[in-house]
Amino acid sequence: MLSLGGGGAKSTKPSFVSYVTPEEIKSEKEPPKKEKHPDLLPGEVIFCSADPVLKHTQDDLSQRGIFGTLLCTNFRVSFVSDETPLEEMTQHFKNKLYGENDIPLMCVDNIYGVYDEKKKLITKGMLKNKCPSKMIIHCKDLRVFQFCLTYTKEEDAKKIFQGIAHHCLEPKSLKCVFAFSYAASSSPEVQRSQRTVMFDSKEDWTQEMKRTKANLRIVTENENFEFSMRLPKFFIIPAAVTDEDISKFPGKGLPVWCWSHHSGCAMFKASTLPVPQEDGLMQGYMERMLHAVAHTHLYSLKLEDLSETLPTIQDIQQSYNKFKQFFLIDNSTDFWVSDVKWFSTLENTGWLDIIRQCLQKAVEVVECLEKENTNVLIMEEEGSDLCCVISSLVQIMLDPHFRTLTGFQGLVQKEWVAGCHAFLDRCNHLYQKDKECHSPSPVFLLFLECVWQMVQQHSPAFQFSETYLTVLSDSIHVPIFSTFLFNSAYQRESTMKAEAQHLQRGPLNCPAVWDWSVQFDCKAQELFINPLYADKLKQDKAIRKVPRAKHQRQLSLPSSAFKTPPKKGFFKDETESLKKMLRVKRISRWMASPDSPAAATREFYETWQRRPLDYHGLLLPCLDGPAMRLWMQRYLRWIPEVQILGGGPVAITSMLAELLSQVQDLRRELDMRSCWETEAESLQLRPGPLALTRTSLRLSSSFPFASNRNWTFKPAIPTSLLQSLMVTDRLASQEDETNEVISLV
Amino acid sequence: CTIGSAGLLQIRHFGERIMNQSGLHARGRDMFGLCCLPGECVLQRAVLVRKKLSPKEGGGWLSGTLFCTHFRVAFVPQDSPRADDNADPVLLGDHDVALASIEKVVAVGPSRTKLVTPNSSLKFTPEELVLYCRDLQVLCFLFDRLTPDTQAVEITYTIAKTYQPLKPGTILSFQNAALGSIEMKQFLSNRRRDPGMNWFESSADWEQELERTGATGWRVSSVNDRFEMSTSLSRFNVVPQKVLDTELKKTFAHFNEGRIPRWCWRHPRGSDLLRMASFQNNIYHEKDDIRNLELILFGGQPQCVVVDLGEEMPSPADLQLAHTRLRALCLGDISSSVSVPDDKWLSTLEGTHWLDYIRCCLRKAAEVACLLRRGHLTVVLQESEDRDMNCVVSSLVQVMCDPHCRTVAGFQGLVQKEWVMAGHRFLSRINYHRDSDKEEAPIFLLFLDCVWQLWAQFPARFQLTENYLLALHDSLHLPLFSTFLANCQRERCRRSQHLPQSYTPVNGLRELPRGSAEEPVDPPYPPYPPVWDWSLQYSGQRRALFSQPVCQPCSPVPVLNGNLNTNTNMEPNWVSDGVPGSVFLLSRSSFSCPSNLLPWRSGSGSGSYRKSHRRAPSSESLPALERLIKACGQPDAPQDFHDPHQPLIPLLLGPCIRIWRNCYLRGALHAQAFTHPMSSNSRHPVERLASEVEHLRERLAQASTGRPSNRKRHEHRRLDSNLNQNANNGTFLFSSSSSSSSSSSSSSSSSSSSSSRTSQQESPCRVSGRPPTAPRYRDGGGKHTFLFGHQGEPQGSQRYAPSPSAKLPKNSGPQLN
Repeated sequence: MLSLGGGGAKSTKPSFVSYVTPEEIKSEKEPPKKEKHPDLLPGEVIFCSADPVLKHTQDDLSQRGIFGTLLCTNFRVSFVSDETPLEEMTQHFKNKLYGENDIPLMCVDNIYGVYDEKKKLITKGMLKNKCPSKMIIHCKDLRVFQFCLTYTKEEDAKKIFQGIAHHCLEPKSLKCVFAFSYAASSSPEVQRSQRTVMFDSKEDWTQEMKRTKANLRIVTENENFEFSMRLPKFFIIPAAVTDEDISKFPGKGLPVWCWSHHSGCAMFKASTLPVPQEDGLMQGYMERMLHAVAHTHLYSLKLEDLSETLPTIQDIQQSYNKFKQFFLIDNSTDFWVSDVKWFSTLENTGWLDIIRQCLQKAVEVVECLEKENTNVLIMEEEGSDLCCVISSLVQIMLDPHFRTLTGFQGLVQKEWVAGCHAFLDRCNHLYQKDKECHSPSPVFLLFLECVWQMVQQHSPAFQFSETYLTVLSDSIHVPIFSTFLFNSAYQRESTMKAEAQHLQRGPLNCPAVWDWSVQFDCKAQELFINPLYADKLKQDKAIRKVPRAKHQRQLSLPSSAFKTPPKKGFFKDETESLKKMLRVKRISRWMASPDSPAAATREFYETWQRRPLDYHGLLLPCLDGPAMRLWMQRYLRWIPEVQILGGGPVAITSMLAELLSQVQDLRRELDMRSCWETEAESLQLRPGPLALTRTSLRLSSSFPFASNRNWTFKPAIPTSLLQSLMVTDRLASQEDETNEVISLV
Repeated sequence: CTIGSAGLLQIRHFGERIMNQSGLHARGRDMFGLCCLPGECVLQRAVLVRKKLSPKEGGGWLSGTLFCTHFRVAFVPQDSPRADDNADPVLLGDHDVALASIEKVVAVGPSRTKLVTPNSSLKFTPEELVLYCRDLQVLCFLFDRLTPDTQAVEITYTIAKTYQPLKPGTILSFQNAALGSIEMKQFLSNRRRDPGMNWFESSADWEQELERTGATGWRVSSVNDRFEMSTSLSRFNVVPQKVLDTELKKTFAHFNEGRIPRWCWRHPRGSDLLRMASFQNNIYHEKDDIRNLELILFGGQPQCVVVDLGEEMPSPADLQLAHTRLRALCLGDISSSVSVPDDKWLSTLEGTHWLDYIRCCLRKAAEVACLLRRGHLTVVLQESEDRDMNCVVSSLVQVMCDPHCRTVAGFQGLVQKEWVMAGHRFLSRINYHRDSDKEEAPIFLLFLDCVWQLWAQFPARFQLTENYLLALHDSLHLPLFSTFLANCQRERCRRSQHLPQSYTPVNGLRELPRGSAEEPVDPPYPPYPPVWDWSLQYSGQRRALFSQPVCQPCSPVPVLNGNLNTNTNMEPNWVSDGVPGSVFLLSRSSFSCPSNLLPWRSGSGSGSYRKSHRRAPSSESLPALERLIKACGQPDAPQDFHDPHQPLIPLLLGPCIRIWRNCYLRGALHAQAFTHPMSSNSRHPVERLASEVEHLRERLAQASTGRPSNRKRHEHRRLDSNLNQNANNGTFLFSSSSSSSSSSSSSSSSSSSSSSRTSQQESPCRVSGRPPTAPRYRDGGGKHTFLFGHQGEPQGSQRYAPSPSAKLPKNSGPQLN
């Protein structure tokens, strides 16, 4: 291993004194192989490379590093270590597409250059400048890489720096996205067993309608996107909407069906109409639409304009930008400084509050559907951002189907992919600097955050695990999958077609993200499944409503402390006219005052809480101050200081795995003795993550993400003592002694 | 069984007297199913009441009858199994709360809420009754429309009048209500102490601990046997062998309250942990004194580090303030309109500084633990009084380093050793009598929270569970236990002299100055049981949740031999580096060797004593010590991952220190959805899994022996329904039940399970007699292996050839669910 103690960027004077020149290093070992590169994917091309580059190990106080080659391909920035990987470290959770030292180009968030010990954000204009001594890459999945370029030949360093910066920062066209060259050169695989409903055919939609017992009209005329380019090929609208209405304002203001409650009422979403010029026309149209929605069930309707009550997508972006800074850590000292004010800084970003507001809004919609049995129409300017968040959350809360893995994937297909969420713009895959028309915003991540909060609170109700959500949030930035690559169904269709023509071959084979075998092998995929998922018992399947407890519990309740006067319309009752629209203020707290709509929701929540919890029924999140939590796995997994070795949730998971494996062993043994009678009562066991068995002590709390190789220099007491130790200049001289001390202790 | 028919008659008698007021018969007990303690009087009852269940219990509401007695507010669910008359009395049922732990009574009417005090009058009929408890529980009872209004009003009044908040003297009547009856006294005096834990009361107990830790060079001194030398120390103290009692006696004067340096624990690597109070500087030193003192401090080791806990640690007043704020934040109180907005909750939590104090204690303990790993030194904790933070830090160090202290028995022994015997002022700090408001501070709660943090970070390395810590937390608020009802061992001994067969006071007691004046001379004290007598408080089912079913992969070696230190990598020059006899001070995370550290080195003192026979410590060894702390927490080698002695070094950064939700937030009415509630009609998957293991093993046993294994004594296990797999939440969940009964019936998961099952299954348990007083861990090792171990049973049973003729009984009995 070639690791050197190196001075950090943080110290004011250059503390790193290299007594070995790069040339000497080279001469020490055998001449480097020129063709050192990672295993390239089909269609992957290397743009440039540089050698040797020192990659700092981030978790390391002493600023050590590994030498290797830095490459930039059309898919990723890759670092290939000179070191041979340790054999004993078995990767539990290896991504097949990119390794732990690879950064997909789309995943690059920001690049910083260190010029004369000063850290500067690299922008487009700085490409011509001289090459920085050190390059710091912040990734969207919150990894941080530091590459030191001082050992590289100057022209190589310049080339790689400009190459990476160019490919990561320059706006580019959709055609250049790696997915197309990947799809073009990867052999079309045999038809995979696709369990996820993709909602790209008429059958899928009719099937979904049948499942929810909705009786609405499916529109097929948009198959070639004649009506609207912002609508999917197939969509469902209230039966009362006429053909003429559909084509009037192409797609705008049209209530698109999301989901039907078993009582018959349904949830619709719509984009708002453009600024009204001819009042009569617009208003008449809108009223007709509202009537049509109301006709669906009992002639009732509540309208909710999300842009009025929820934060804007710009707010969300700002808040998230502030939030993520806490986890993008260049060196550990920064993190230590933050620990005393941890909670308040976290809170000040407002990110947790945005999550709370979204969940709160979803609970309100759920109340309308579940308790009042009214139709709900949620509206938003585009109808594809927060509408998607709220409608998906509502469906997860109400429909246990969407809490299964395939159901959840179907939901994302239905509401987000087919629902034309502008992934391309929102994720800013193309680095468009034009914030006006392509405002980036982590809306989908926000949705995953909300789901995560619910998974935290009611874990047995969900078939998928926290790890699944984390991986899904990472996959957004892997430019292989067609799922997150387009702004609308129309764009997907047309781009794919154009590319296929360009390549003169059949339809492109772009995998969907749901095809997890592209990224992970079967063993790793086991970690997506929550082993504690409370399977629905077979006999329960027919019954939809909450099974009544045998005795003791009363589901109906007398009046209570939280009884409030009949609720005022928080949602606008929209059966008469649009003119009734009132601006409704956002609620800060349920218990604010008994008359507030929040209190009404609280009552609904209380009523729900009084019933025994049914994992296959309505599920509501808790929204109080302490209930919103930090998604530790996603945000803290790369920060070694907060990884608990041999502790954390994985310790429990592994215990569980142990139990599971014991059951399976026992069964096998009984089978061998052939005295096993199948009994109705025996459990149907899913294979759990058995790989974990008996290794819990070696796993860290950020399992399965960070490898446990880098434990050696983890400090134990990261507070004032160490900080004071670190800044002393004794540190350098102590450096080499540290090893001895460790062996002594 | 100890309560004879006389007891029953007594109960009936009381019942008659009381219930006659409301026109009820003497057989009220049988009618309503409240299992009264001997001598307990039911003051009021209300029928058709519903209790709100916490999500942990399954959520929803449980209907039953509410009682208020002299001692507790009891709730008896409908159709609960009829209590067995011969069972031992359990002070509190699963749904009960002691009057002494109630802090506030709030009545909720149709349109308003009112805080009910003994003097207040209600102008409305309450629909809901909310009891806020000191242990941060909140109980919510709902009166049905069919509940007679008078009952609803009366019981609210009765509770408000009887719980008597904050009045001196009420404690005594409370204790009498619970333990005062003749039967109860007799019952208590006949109880056996748990022999499985170390009580540290006799010198043999200390010897045992010395042997367990492998400490050599130390002996148990009984010089304080009559509390002559120090009133607050225990009778037996461990001191270096080299020091004679006569020499020792001279040392006491040099320390605050005579609390000399005493041995606490030996680290497996051979370092010793000591604790002491601050020096008395105004005492004239003789040369011999210095020698003795040094002998005691060094205890045969070449180096000594004094860890000063005075400056950096939070003061009791700080803690009290922080805890008060934390309570206010966590206990959502509907009678007050102030509430923290959701989006400011976290920063308010931060503002309480409670978590900072936890971090501070854990950090200090981690530092000490790291120091101890070095071997060959004594680490002396010094605090001015040696009765608060010393207790916290020394016991935390042991929890971190000694796997034994992470078992229930070991933990109880630890609390006995470092808190009870060491003279932590439980009585003043908890302030039961409301007479020491200035002294009140939740030091022990802080310690429990610290242990919880460790547990939450390393759940797999504890045998005890969160439920256990919670039980201990709650017990602290019950003024019934001798453990917490005294400030030092001397007080406990004085009190227990009224008991038969207890320690007979030596006549030396008379020579002592009288204790505090307010102490009653001859109080009608009931015999106070120790808190460790869990069967007095909790049913077997709940006690079973105190320890984990899945044992740690490597169960700790029962005896630490003091020389785990293999010394292979101990360089000789390292030893010589530290000058023999150096004394260092660790303060504010840095080492120094100030000249005035020990009293005789102070320049102002009599000059002749300044030249000690020891050399001044060399300053070079300071950085070495600092590096020692820096380097700690790292496993020495990969194989050490499996070393059970690998200390638990907690992570202390912001995201890692969390709030103990299941304790502090369990009550808040608006915040009850943290834990995963269990669906009432279907069992939790983990529970099913555990019973599946059970079931399969039984089948296997049957198959291999060829006959039903009904007679085999199984330890039945059940996994707690509250499997909260999320350690962010900090809850951990594998808890198990081991019912002592031979039936392998699956005990019902919680009170919320269907009672038909409950009644079926509990009856055999009850019949089988008193629950085992010996906790499970004693035989736990073997049984763990039986069910969950990796070696053992399955392989063992393979020795039996499966007899093909062995026909499995189709029906393996009703006990198989």
